[in-house]
Amino acid sequence: MIVGKRLLPLVAAVVVLQLVFRFGIPFLWGGIPRFWHFENQLDIAQQISVNAILAFGMTLTILIGGIDLSVGALVALVGTTTVYLLGATRFAWWELPAFALLAGLGMEVVLRLILGGRSGGLARIAATTGLRAVLLAAVAFFCGRGDLGGPGRFLFAVWTALAVAALFGGFNGACAATTRMPPFIITLATMWVARGAALRFNEGRPMHIPEDQTVFLALGNGRLADTAPIPVIVMFLLFVAAAVLLHRTRFGQHLHAIGGNREAARYTGIPLVRREVAVYVICSLWTGVAGMIHASQLYSAEPASGVGFELNAIAAAVVGGTSFTGGIGTMAGTLVGAIIIGILDKGLNQAGVHYSFQYMVKGLVILAAVYLDVRRQAKRA
Amino acid sequence: MTIEPLLMLRGVTKRFGGTTALDRVDFELRRGEIHALLGENGAGKSTLIKVLGGIHVPEHGTIEIEGRPTPIRTVADADRHGIRIIHQELSLAGNLSIAENIFLGREPSRFGWLRRGQMDRDAAALIASLGLVELEAADRARPDRKRQRLLGRLQGVRTPVSALSMAHQQLVEIARALSTQAKILVLDEPTSALSEAETEVLFATLRRLRDQGVGIIYISHRLEEILRLADRITVLRDGRAIGTQDAAKVNQRDLVRWMVGRDIADHFHRPAFRGGPIALEVRDLWGPRTFGVGFAVRYGEVFGLAGLVGAGRTELARLLFGIDPIQRGQVFVDGRPVRIAHPRDALNAGIVLVPEDRKREGLVMIQSVAFNLALPWVHEWITGCVPRGRRRRAIVDRAIREFGIRVANPEQCVAELSGGNQQKTLVARWTEHRPKVLILDEPTRGVDVGAREEMFAILNELVESGMAVVLISSDLAEVLHLSHRVALLRDGRLLRTVAAEEISLETMVAELTGAIAR
Repeated sequence: MIVGKRLLPLVAAVVVLQLVFRFGIPFLWGGIPRFWHFENQLDIAQQISVNAILAFGMTLTILIGGIDLSVGALVALVGTTTVYLLGATRFAWWELPAFALLAGLGMEVVLRLILGGRSGGLARIAATTGLRAVLLAAVAFFCGRGDLGGPGRFLFAVWTALAVAALFGGFNGACAATTRMPPFIITLATMWVARGAALRFNEGRPMHIPEDQTVFLALGNGRLADTAPIPVIVMFLLFVAAAVLLHRTRFGQHLHAIGGNREAARYTGIPLVRREVAVYVICSLWTGVAGMIHASQLYSAEPASGVGFELNAIAAAVVGGTSFTGGIGTMAGTLVGAIIIGILDKGLNQAGVHYSFQYMVKGLVILAAVYLDVRRQAKRA
Repeated sequence: MTIEPLLMLRGVTKRFGGTTALDRVDFELRRGEIHALLGENGAGKSTLIKVLGGIHVPEHGTIEIEGRPTPIRTVADADRHGIRIIHQELSLAGNLSIAENIFLGREPSRFGWLRRGQMDRDAAALIASLGLVELEAADRARPDRKRQRLLGRLQGVRTPVSALSMAHQQLVEIARALSTQAKILVLDEPTSALSEAETEVLFATLRRLRDQGVGIIYISHRLEEILRLADRITVLRDGRAIGTQDAAKVNQRDLVRWMVGRDIADHFHRPAFRGGPIALEVRDLWGPRTFGVGFAVRYGEVFGLAGLVGAGRTELARLLFGIDPIQRGQVFVDGRPVRIAHPRDALNAGIVLVPEDRKREGLVMIQSVAFNLALPWVHEWITGCVPRGRRRRAIVDRAIREFGIRVANPEQCVAELSGGNQQKTLVARWTEHRPKVLILDEPTRGVDVGAREEMFAILNELVESGMAVVLISSDLAEVLHLSHRVALLRDGRLLRTVAAEEISLETMVAELTGAIAR
């Protein structure tokens, strides 16, 4: 069930917001005539893409009763890592092997989650894992030695950045699943680790993306057939992937069970640790893509960017009807939640509302949305 | 002149849905008496306490305190009339000191400022006046004696509760109960977590309090303990007060017969045992609370695990299902050794567990009946990312039909179902593919009489079709009369395994309570 009854009031809210910003409020304010221009609407879509992608991953973590506060910092870290590897003219002797190793390990985390299977003892798992990771690292190393601006170097940069994200996700998930530390604290800690790592690059100063990196710049700014912005297309693809994963697979059913009642899920034989790690890795991978789009949109990687992004993502998920107690939430809801916040931001901005008031309105809207959702649920129960 | 009773219950009746927890109970407690309340699991002891504590309000009957009719409708009522209840699980804040715990919620203060010195002095005085010398001595055992001598007696009450032994914590709880005007002290299984020596400490205190005129109601499973401590004994059975006796006039055998001596209801129909090969065999199993248990269950057999609360029945089931780690020992299914480290392993081996706590461990309460029924079989109705609605519906419909689960429609939220139907949902979902061994932990807890009968019928059907069933229940009569063989468990150890026909309920209870040893 991708679209349910719960989505209707949210869609209604989008329509109301659109009408209010176009036609204004009778006798009070005249609205924005160009709000419905095609370009303006595309602009909104483009501006929400990063937040929406983050919110998709966040929805998964909240759904299983967790949270991931590290995504904002991870956006910055992925951006800096990618841009650094894309643009560096020469590396210190240890840099390429080190990044290659990270690329190998991160890929291995993802592969293990996809391939799965508990085979043999710990030693054997460690051996096969280690071997595969080293092999992957060798491949990455070979790619990384490619020419500046060449396809090898591009692959290496993107791969390594996503691998770094996957490692953070894997660590978050493993801690959340196997220790008694609350995810809030775990990801609060890794948030600072990621932020610090991002600030290691270029002494914390922004790094410009070389202009010959056309492919990477297109990720955030390009348009398909001169109309559809590429970040919006990417967002849509990731939305479909996340929605299918959550609503049409075993994995998704298991997440609903874990979020609804963790103990019951355990007694049903669901592999809790594997599922939980997978959720955090997916959240981080989505964050990785969002980080690249963000860097591309800024034409530079900024180690200090992405502050507070995690809160915006949580807001989108929650406005979209994801329950903080776990077990309830839809991807479509989150998407609409992100759209609502996006329209609100853009509309208030174009209406000339001072940004201090924008914050207040946004806060109150989130509060109202969640209040209505909670009340509706209480009525149903 | 007869002694005026301190507390008098007359004809107290309390029902929960279809079950009668207390049925016209009469009970009398005198001043300066330790009155033991005795009964099997589910005989109504806890309900009676909750009626006294104002947690449950009885439908009928009167409560008199010191000769005056005193309705107890709320916890505050009970408190005002001097009734203090100490529950099985202690309710102390471990990080706070003895004094802070005693005055928790009514700390002495002046203009909102906490008067810590006053509190410590009051606590020390209270402990001294109650004669809880054992508590005063609690801190003497701690190493920094020099410092203590400097601070004198006050140091004792500043000890954090978490540093005390279980018995001493129990005493702090008592001190708190008696810090305000207390007439009646109720203790629910106070010794279940205490060692032999700690029990003695507690008993000494209780006797002294009795001599000071406090009326004490004492609840325990341990007969030997009750005979040693109590002045009088009242036995509850199936919600009725069977009678009251002077402790001096009875022995353990009398008590056991008294506790169990009921007409065994004839709604138990033990399924016929046709005899089959061994389905599950366990050899020398060790776990966190299981110590060297071994047994074998045949196909078509009901194997009962009997024991009192805390005997390690559920813990054993958790081991077999891979929830808790097996520390040592072997498990065989169909004669082949299986390694169980995760519920998945147990399921693959054909072992299924229906846990005791439906809401916490069994069902995803915020989801629909269909979701819960289909959850274990997701891999069958979703291949890749294509859910097959028809397959799912078939799984759900079969379960609902075969087990007669009463639902408006399958997408109804499972929380809206009755306890019996929830239980049926849990059992039904595992029978989509016949498991070899079905472990039922408390299958009739919290379900009404009708649903209980239905559960028994389901059990019979499953067993007669050849499934091996391990049955756990706190209702010992139920275990004994549904099982073909019974394992007697006590403190995580297997006492012995015995054919159900060869043991009477009386003997079983006696062995489980430790009244007789074999």
